[in-house]
Amino acid sequence: MKLLSRRKFIQDAALTGGALLLLPELEASMLLDKQPSGNYFLKEFGIDEKLCQKLLTKALSKGGDFADLYFEYSVLNHLGLEDGKVNRSYGNISLGVGIRTVKGDQIGYGFTQELTPESMLSAAATASTLCNLKATPVVASFNSLKTGNYYPVAIDYNGIPANSKLQVLQNINEKCFSLSPEVVKVNAGFQSSAKRVMVVTSDGVMAEDLIPHGYVYASVVAERNGKREQSFYNMGGHRDFSFYTDEVINKVSTKAVNNALTLFDAIQPPAGEVPVVLGPGVTGILLHEAIGHGMEADFNRKKISTFSSMIGKKVAEPFVTIIDDGTNMNLAGSLNVDDEGTPGKKTILVENGILTGYLHDKISAKHYGVEPTGNGRRQDFQNYPIPRMRNTYMLGGNASPEDVIRQAGNGIYVEEVSNGQVKIGEGDFAFYVPQGRMIENGKLTAPIKDVNIMGNGPKMLTNIIMLANNLEMDYGGAGQCGKNGQGVPVSFGLPTCLVKSLTVGGTRQKGGQS
Amino acid sequence: MSTSNNQQKEFQELADWVIDQTKKAGAKDCKVRLSKNRFVEINYRDRKPEVIKEATTQGLNLQVFTNNRYASQSTPDFRKSTLSGFITDVIESAKIMEEDPFRTLPDPKYYAGRSDTDLQLADPDQGKLSPEERHEMVKTVEDACLKQGGSKVISVEAGEYDETFEEFVKTSNGFIGANRSTQCWTGASMTAQDEGDRRPSGYNWVGCRYRGDLPSLQEVGNLAAIRTLDLLGGKKIETETLPVIIENRVVGNVLGGLQGPMAAGNIQQKRSFLADKKGQQIGSKLLTLQDDPFLVRGLGSKYYDGDGFPAKKRNLFTDGVLNEFLVDWYYGQKLGWEPTSGSISNLILPPGARSVDEIVKDLGRCILITGFIGGNSNSTTGDFSIGIIGKLFENGKFVQNVAEMNMADNHLKFWHKLTEVANDPWIYSSLKVPSLVFDDVVIAGI
Repeated sequence: MKLLSRRKFIQDAALTGGALLLLPELEASMLLDKQPSGNYFLKEFGIDEKLCQKLLTKALSKGGDFADLYFEYSVLNHLGLEDGKVNRSYGNISLGVGIRTVKGDQIGYGFTQELTPESMLSAAATASTLCNLKATPVVASFNSLKTGNYYPVAIDYNGIPANSKLQVLQNINEKCFSLSPEVVKVNAGFQSSAKRVMVVTSDGVMAEDLIPHGYVYASVVAERNGKREQSFYNMGGHRDFSFYTDEVINKVSTKAVNNALTLFDAIQPPAGEVPVVLGPGVTGILLHEAIGHGMEADFNRKKISTFSSMIGKKVAEPFVTIIDDGTNMNLAGSLNVDDEGTPGKKTILVENGILTGYLHDKISAKHYGVEPTGNGRRQDFQNYPIPRMRNTYMLGGNASPEDVIRQAGNGIYVEEVSNGQVKIGEGDFAFYVPQGRMIENGKLTAPIKDVNIMGNGPKMLTNIIMLANNLEMDYGGAGQCGKNGQGVPVSFGLPTCLVKSLTVGGTRQKGGQS
Repeated sequence: MSTSNNQQKEFQELADWVIDQTKKAGAKDCKVRLSKNRFVEINYRDRKPEVIKEATTQGLNLQVFTNNRYASQSTPDFRKSTLSGFITDVIESAKIMEEDPFRTLPDPKYYAGRSDTDLQLADPDQGKLSPEERHEMVKTVEDACLKQGGSKVISVEAGEYDETFEEFVKTSNGFIGANRSTQCWTGASMTAQDEGDRRPSGYNWVGCRYRGDLPSLQEVGNLAAIRTLDLLGGKKIETETLPVIIENRVVGNVLGGLQGPMAAGNIQQKRSFLADKKGQQIGSKLLTLQDDPFLVRGLGSKYYDGDGFPAKKRNLFTDGVLNEFLVDWYYGQKLGWEPTSGSISNLILPPGARSVDEIVKDLGRCILITGFIGGNSNSTTGDFSIGIIGKLFENGKFVQNVAEMNMADNHLKFWHKLTEVANDPWIYSSLKVPSLVFDDVVIAGI
């Protein structure tokens, strides 16, 4: 095994001179398209095919259907601005390998932070304890996986220079304060990470990927007549520095400030069931919570999802088509290859109102006798992959956004959402609305704030009665989806959409005073 | 409070070396934290192992303070041959930060006065747990849950998790802290068949510092099934204003909305609805909250906090009055306030006299909230809105389970509605808080 040049590794990883988030010899797009797989981890850590075969053989030494190795080396840096100064820098290096042995739907898993043959063999031995059978053979050689490249970076990509980040944060700070004298506090942050992964499977796949990820955010507190309101806005995704233009800085700042100022006039809507119009974009979190999780195949394989017996059935009106997609350029949930070696794909969940399929990892795909859909994802090498969403969205309809609002009559309009959660078995979900409006007589009126919306996924799906022609994707990068203690970046999308009724939480009953 | 001797020695030697190198490389001050965690996780589903996972993780965090500039970075690599470069890089990262006069290590005078009570944070028998014993534990819990769940069971997942955690912390200005602790958790989740396609899932997970303090494993499994069966038939009802009881094990969810705004960081950044409320009546007389770091075997017990300040018992609320904020070193400096501690250990609300069953009989129409879903609490305004799951009672008689409903209020009004505290503090948590009764809460439904 080649010994890693440790000094070089640490320099690369730890944002040398605070100036660069360096990844050595990064040629992401070329590497993915043209270079043989295994190159980076071979070059930097001496992980060659022979060693991979040895580890997989150990993992399957007591039997099992298959085994895989997931190598990861990632660096993360966060710079924060508070009280006008970029005065904090946080960094983290993650390095290790996770080794999984699978038998049916059972998993043996070991991992180590030391990429030495001894440590890795020990982790493989831990994974192997799952079975007590005859050894399963491992292929003699591996084929490098060809994938698309949905987050290309420049050939000379060397990460995002810290000095440039400093200026972005200062610009956000200045912009926010310039927008209103009522702004009293601004926090801004720039987080970026670069994750190198390599997946090697006992059935002969070897795949490498480089995932650049990051976001900028502004968090604003404004004060008016002794009252304070706060708002947060972020933009990012799987992107390099070219994304963070003046336009993005202005949008992040303007949205955060305007949203905070709007809240001074906000009221609490009446509590209870009302028609709800979801504005385009980030409101797609509704799909994620209400429908997406229930379609993750592990929940269905275990028969614990409310969607477990609905394949092939009508679950929505014919104009509803829902997609989970790993192939959108630069979005937070995009994947060239998933974390068990399946190339990034686009998966239709609901087509013209009919539930057509689930989101699969290799275990559930085998269970259902279908091809994996590329949804096997994990937070890091310390965790085994499970079916996860990527970018989940609903295709647009024919109506104009104004028509949809008019059709609602009286209800609420949701502009921003956060903190979604679902109970898989019941399908009951909730999400929080920090920003929205009342709809009165088909028109948007007073702003609303701080309400939670509750519903039931399958019921809500059948209650989508009108779609506008304005599908928008969310360009945030800070969003994480949590499941089984693992967080992964995802994105959402929705056109303006009318749901016949959902429960709106509030402190006043209908007809009462706020 | 000792770590295992060999590990402590190894940590101490490395920490000394890192501090020496960091100062030699030009940093004025620094803090190094070394940690190691050994864990095992076993899950069973449908009477066979679903996941067996075992590993050790380690981490080194270095914080550098140089000319009022600050950076913090972590690495899993403990080798001196590579740490030299790492140290230089952290210092360089700090140097490009803007100057912040408040970015310093704490004044060492605040390190003094640490308790030497034996808090019994590490189970000496933890290492004796064999793989076979772990499997037996899980099988027992699973078996009990399956039996109790009976014909309603769709699926049961049972598990065991145990860990041994060690850390060593040292600063260049005189703080040294060492800690070794263990935890052992077990429990089960069950999914049950309900009307139509509804498949409610409930769970019961419990954890302790010492494995011997866990309740009977049969009881753990039984309760997982009972709590799941209790969710059957959950439906929303008309929106109404009525008393609610928030069950002990989920009450932390609303308490969190009070705790965040007590943090000096939120106060200094004008994100706290409590900023000007010190000494004022925030809730009813029943709102008394203590932060007690010295509970023997407590899940939140500790000797020192993140700044190195000795842990102290303090009364955060007494009879509804807010006594103190959570002031860490950095934001204490920014505010010009004396630092206390920025973090909580074990949160204790003194229990009342009656059980939930007794209280329910006197409440007329009320909802016992057993779970929350989604939602948020706004630290700046105090408004919160959160989904609830629970049981509707009328004069002590069960009426129906409720789901898909919501509770909303403002903390500055809500805690005044606290009318009774039950006698059942939840012991498998650092929040040792009983079930709480609130009057006149709007629960939104149809």
